[in-house]
Amino acid sequence: MPEAIQAAALPRTRRWARVLLAGPGAIVVTLALLAGMPLWLPGGAAGIDNLAVPLVLAPLIWAALFFHACLDRNLARVALVAGALFVVHGALVASRLTATPAVEAAK
Amino acid sequence: MIHLKKDETKAMVAVHGWSGILLGLLLYAVVLTGTAAVFAHEIGAWSAGHVATRSVFEKPVDATIRRLAAQTPAAYHDDVNLWETGDHGLGVFFHRHETGAEGVPTEAGYFYQLDHDGRVLNTTKGTIDDLFGPRNDDALATFLVDTHVRLHVPNPWGLLLTGILGLAMLVAAISGVLIHRHLFKDIFTLRRRASSVLVNRDKHSVAGTWSLPFAFVLAFTGSFFSFYGTIGVPVVAMAAFGGDVEALSEAVYGTPGTPDPRPVPVGNIDRITGDAIARAGGVPTFIAIEKFGRADSVVTSYHDPKAGDVEPVALLYSGASAQFVREKAVVGAQPSTGGTLVGIMGPLHFGNFAGMLSKAIWFGLGFAMCYVTYTGMRLWVVKRRGEARSLAWLERTLSVVGFGLPLGLAVAAAAFLVTMPLGTAVYWTTAAFLIASALAILAGALAPSNAALTKLLKGATGVTMLALPLLRLFVAGGPGWGETVAAGQPVIAALDLAFAIAGLWLVRQSWLTARSAEPLAAPALQAART
Repeated sequence: MPEAIQAAALPRTRRWARVLLAGPGAIVVTLALLAGMPLWLPGGAAGIDNLAVPLVLAPLIWAALFFHACLDRNLARVALVAGALFVVHGALVASRLTATPAVEAAK
Repeated sequence: MIHLKKDETKAMVAVHGWSGILLGLLLYAVVLTGTAAVFAHEIGAWSAGHVATRSVFEKPVDATIRRLAAQTPAAYHDDVNLWETGDHGLGVFFHRHETGAEGVPTEAGYFYQLDHDGRVLNTTKGTIDDLFGPRNDDALATFLVDTHVRLHVPNPWGLLLTGILGLAMLVAAISGVLIHRHLFKDIFTLRRRASSVLVNRDKHSVAGTWSLPFAFVLAFTGSFFSFYGTIGVPVVAMAAFGGDVEALSEAVYGTPGTPDPRPVPVGNIDRITGDAIARAGGVPTFIAIEKFGRADSVVTSYHDPKAGDVEPVALLYSGASAQFVREKAVVGAQPSTGGTLVGIMGPLHFGNFAGMLSKAIWFGLGFAMCYVTYTGMRLWVVKRRGEARSLAWLERTLSVVGFGLPLGLAVAAAAFLVTMPLGTAVYWTTAAFLIASALAILAGALAPSNAALTKLLKGATGVTMLALPLLRLFVAGGPGWGETVAAGQPVIAALDLAFAIAGLWLVRQSWLTARSAEPLAAPALQAART
């Protein structure tokens, strides 16, 4: 009997993990990308591409993360992609904020 | 074609259904008011009886600006914004940049509202947060736009709410593509002789498939606008400018140059407007004069896109000499990928890049989106009619919102026309909408059946719409058809006609509703579940 309960609980846990990755997870990773992308994207001819492109693409980034979380059968891969994007961009933002005073960053 | 595995398709069907059913009612309200707001400018002219057709920027404004500058305290001469307001009147905002309460950047100064002949109608002092609310003559158009933009929920929550609705629409559009096994076949499949449920499902599918690209564009651009100022700019500013939103704004929208604070009178503004109209092929939608009265003053004239283009036009002039400097990007100091992307978001969302034609297409596709949203929710409910837990309350709620909202909007328009001559339209336009909505909810609770409720709401909306042209002519004292056509404003007569036709159609539908409201037969329900 406990095995049967465990077997039934496993899909439910996986479903909730998927819901968390597609819901709050996708939002948090999108925010991390929005903050981190200006730090590595090229500025372009007017020096604003790194600022404007993430702002424009934010809804599509969220949608891509959402559908990846819904459709990829391999839940670990979903978590890995989302986690890697979050860690890389979070680290970029953290290093920028800790290394440079705010006023200097603006310049 | 995208072929998903069976379980993936099942997941997408669930995502498509739940994204619609959880937020569908609010989404319907946003899309319906957005559809009407495509013609907000024309509705404003129709409701207030505006018959002037010549732009204020095609007339001399230079002397007026100098006269207003002389009577405005020098502390507010930093920047001056000019735009059309009311019946081709002029709005002039002398202001300076300040940090308001809670450390939020704002602009404070004097706002002058002038009529078409340059007479000052109204002078107010304050910040942008309290200066530019609805006025008596544009209360209806402003009400429509505010409902669409933030559902009358205070900022930033209203914008966040409509942004989330935009994302829900994006999810519904993308999942709609993914669940179509035969996308191209579905575009043309209308089984007219099938059961009513199958016919309705086909109609939903056909309307949804045709408007899928449009739904995607609207959802994408709409959520961009909602999140841009509320989340996007603060987050990007935090990461790239240490939280300095003004610095980000200056980097993106500013006009770089060497500071020269020497006092120099501003050049001839009429020369600038005349030259800008000739270069852009249309009148300015907005003129910004930065560093007014200084040697380094610059004037930017913004215009709608030229024919055949979707990117708006911005022309840069020297403020001191009124000489043309260059065509500048709307966003950024020079043309760039990011600037172009941000620049085309507006025309793509508002559908104003090719005049009346693009507006009419945006209106039609917006209406199709309303239909898809409403019928999608109806199908979801019908599919579950036979299940253990009754969803009759949801079906009733759908009817209250689906038909009560148009009723509320029509009653708001009627109230505007009655109260505008009394000067109380700002209050009564919103109040009438709320009263009509409350009555629709009450009818939803008391009506003996859903069919009776639908019949009542359709009939009331139709009668109110039929009354609108009469109220405009005989209560609001608006111009007659001959006068509007002679003045070059046929859109007023066209809207009268549109309201009359829509009203007649709704009254007819109201009579037909009761006849076609027989309970669904078991085979039909079964077919809907498959």
